[in-house]
Amino acid sequence: MQNEAKKAAHPWPKQRRLIGTRVRRIDGPEKATGTAKYSYDYNRPGMLHAAILRCPHAHARLVKIDLSVAEKMPGVKATHLIANEGKELFYAGDEIVALAADTEEHLADALRAVKVQYEVLPFFVREKDALEHPEQKTVGGAGKSNVNRVAEATKGNVEAAYKTADAVIEGEYGAATVCHQCLESHGLVAEWDKDGNLTVWCSTQAVVGTAAALAQHFKLPPAKVKCITHYMGGGFGSKFGPDVQGIAAAELAKKAGAPVKLMLDRAEEITVAGNRPSAYGKVKIAGTKDGLITAYEVDCYGTPGIGNAATVNMGLLPYVYQDAIPNWKRNHAIVRLNAGAARAMRAPGHPQNCLLTECAIDDLAAKLGLDPMVVRLKNLPPNDPTAAKNDPTSFLAIRHSLYSKEIEIAAQLADWKKKWHPPGAEEGPIKRGIGMALHTWGGFASAQPNEVTIVISRDGSVLVESSTQDLGTGQRTVNALVAAEILGLEPGDITVRIGESQLGSSSGSGGSTTCPSQAPATLQAACNARDDLFAKIAPRLGAKPEDLAIEKASVVDKASGKKWSWKEACARLGMDQAKGTGVWNQKLSQQRENANISNGQVGGVQIAEVVVDTETGVVRCTEVVAVQDCGMIVDLLTCESQVAGGVIMGLNYALFEERIMDRHTGRQVNADMEFYKLGGIKDMPRIKVHMYDMPERGVIGIGEPPTISTAAAISNAIFNAIGVRVPFAPFTPDRVLAALAQKGGKA
Amino acid sequence: MNDAQEHGRNGPGLSRRQFLKGSGMVAATTALVGPAAPAAEADAKAPVALGPGPVKIQLTVNGKKMTTAVEPRVTLLDALRNYLDVTGCKRVCDRGTCGACTVLLDGKPIYACTMLALEARGHDIKTAEALAADGRLDAVAAAFVKYDAQQCGFCTPGFVVALRGALDKNPKASPAEIEEALAGNICRCGTYEQMRHAIAELCGKEGKGA
Repeated sequence: MQNEAKKAAHPWPKQRRLIGTRVRRIDGPEKATGTAKYSYDYNRPGMLHAAILRCPHAHARLVKIDLSVAEKMPGVKATHLIANEGKELFYAGDEIVALAADTEEHLADALRAVKVQYEVLPFFVREKDALEHPEQKTVGGAGKSNVNRVAEATKGNVEAAYKTADAVIEGEYGAATVCHQCLESHGLVAEWDKDGNLTVWCSTQAVVGTAAALAQHFKLPPAKVKCITHYMGGGFGSKFGPDVQGIAAAELAKKAGAPVKLMLDRAEEITVAGNRPSAYGKVKIAGTKDGLITAYEVDCYGTPGIGNAATVNMGLLPYVYQDAIPNWKRNHAIVRLNAGAARAMRAPGHPQNCLLTECAIDDLAAKLGLDPMVVRLKNLPPNDPTAAKNDPTSFLAIRHSLYSKEIEIAAQLADWKKKWHPPGAEEGPIKRGIGMALHTWGGFASAQPNEVTIVISRDGSVLVESSTQDLGTGQRTVNALVAAEILGLEPGDITVRIGESQLGSSSGSGGSTTCPSQAPATLQAACNARDDLFAKIAPRLGAKPEDLAIEKASVVDKASGKKWSWKEACARLGMDQAKGTGVWNQKLSQQRENANISNGQVGGVQIAEVVVDTETGVVRCTEVVAVQDCGMIVDLLTCESQVAGGVIMGLNYALFEERIMDRHTGRQVNADMEFYKLGGIKDMPRIKVHMYDMPERGVIGIGEPPTISTAAAISNAIFNAIGVRVPFAPFTPDRVLAALAQKGGKA
Repeated sequence: MNDAQEHGRNGPGLSRRQFLKGSGMVAATTALVGPAAPAAEADAKAPVALGPGPVKIQLTVNGKKMTTAVEPRVTLLDALRNYLDVTGCKRVCDRGTCGACTVLLDGKPIYACTMLALEARGHDIKTAEALAADGRLDAVAAAFVKYDAQQCGFCTPGFVVALRGALDKNPKASPAEIEEALAGNICRCGTYEQMRHAIAELCGKEGKGA
């Protein structure tokens, strides 16, 4: 086994037939015709419906709960108390009790029949209110305040740098809390069998982790809990376990002796199932007249709701320029509020960091009278020669060259040189503007092992199995594609079984780690299955295993020149089958002999164009250019989809989305889809995606990076159009008009 | 579902759900009064009182007659998903905003969450599943697959059905007209760019009467 581990992994083939081409999703027809079954779609025999009664107050103590009437309501089969009398509840949405009934209609009636008495307590639901009252604490946990300051971090001396700078400016930037808005809400169907095995069909980004959490809760051996997620309707970082509602559903199913479905409704999905935390900051930035940034200082705050984590990535400010800017200083205050807790959301911390950095750069460039693209090029982080010696494909070794090239490509695609003008230079009430921003992300293989098994049967069929999940990224197709590449087949010839916790180990889909974990594992499994096939059929073909090779849909004997179709060759397996397993994780990817199979850290440049109506304040984004690298592209079609989708999520973040809390009731006023805005097709710009393929780097994750810089690019484009900064996203008409008014109403 | 959510999602006014449920209650009252007024039974034009308990209904879904019993307050969406196991139409916003539950009612795209199941009796209901009938993939669904106009796929059946309805109504529709027809559908993964590629092909094809 130890020898096995040290052996170099199978590398990517040098000649690639499918990898890097546009391959259609193998599950596309099922999704497009509604036959793909999501967790929400499972109707098990005798299944009950369940829901949770939630605290209507932002902060309260549960004084008394009376279930006697509810329990006797028609159709009610089980209740599961989540909060006991006396418990302090910290936001409007906190769980009280879960009920199960035979129909959703009976369930709704029963929920209304639960009698609860609350002692209402003081609360804060807006950052400013909590900041103004640091002496008051309205949330749980340690400490005496809702406001927790993160330790200051500094490099160099910003104060000294300000004194020698040619320009120093101060600005405010940031964005509101936004909700994941997964279209398939969080939840699951739970079913116990007579032997005490639990099966859940759960909408999750972590099939194995969800099963493990349920096993732990019910003190069961992992083998007795199975989580199935064949299809899931969006997670974006918010679906990593069974959550309170998943455990409640399994408890109810146990009590009632019947399967139970509990999916959150839309209001619950928005208020309790996670959000991207706000970030608002004061930034001071200084530079020389030729555009060298000499100092950057940020003092920012944001709210994780009842959570207690920083809302920006404190280790990476001033974002991608951190290693280039000699002096910086950063401060952050966590402002805890009586609102739903933040969860990871597509590149957690990065969109906020990007706004706090990239917008200030454009404001400085304007003060210096420079093209902001030139300022960016001047302040890119340097290539690291030491890193280059160790691994010339590492991000540190190439980042300056990579960003320079990507800026050049993006500028060309967007026609930057022709379109950029000094901020607010256009005449007339309708103004065009263009803006740019940069981003970065990790996307390494997961630290957890990902296991893939491939079985070749004597009829030539190929089964690829892994417990991993496809969130809509196209992972199922990627695994088919890689197996098909190695075995000389087409992706459609491959059967992929994923999304079942008992199919080996895999990691949750977070941090853009799935593709760089699964694609290499599938590569190893396919090569091993191929070698096993050769070893087993060679004697029957009158050949030596080492002389056999795969060609398109066939097996050839290089020694004799003989050739068999894939099916003919596989038929020689007789009663046997060929099998290969593959395992991949971050540690394996970092072994020297495995260089170029998977990697991590990417760049990315986006340019947005907007039209701003200075009379109405309406911003329309007309075009976004996205240049993105992710090492070796596996499926170009789904890869481009990830980038375009990331841009659209970024555009919604910039122009439409905001969690609005009512400071009087303590509730979210737009926990829906009509007042919580998401753009439709008519709101969308033209999106030009340019994939910067770097096959020599191996596979890197792509899910998160392309959503990071869109909002900052749009903010900069608005600034370029109207010559005044609209500080906080979403850049809604009222905020645009307010910014214009501050400038004296003149754009 | 509870006080907080009802308030949060509906504001001070009357919600669609409360309205629907309220309507059910009105029907219930009528039903109780009903037997005491036998004259009403004789009058064929008098409103028929149904509920509040389950009412037997027959719906024509994807060409098949399906029978179940639902309370009058049950929406068409919930009848399809919870009672008839037709799950291609998705429940997302559940109040007529996002279009994930779009079905064709006599060929016209409607939000199944804003119609009562009882109202759909006697109408021809088509869901996304109808677009793969006889094992042949409808041109709209095929274009979505070809251009990757779907990611998680949860909104996709709604989009595909709405687009099918628009093209059936006007086979020569322009891409701009199709976008107008899809303005009532929301995608979270961000598949609109790829959707535009699919629309361009469909308008080319359908425009030529193919």
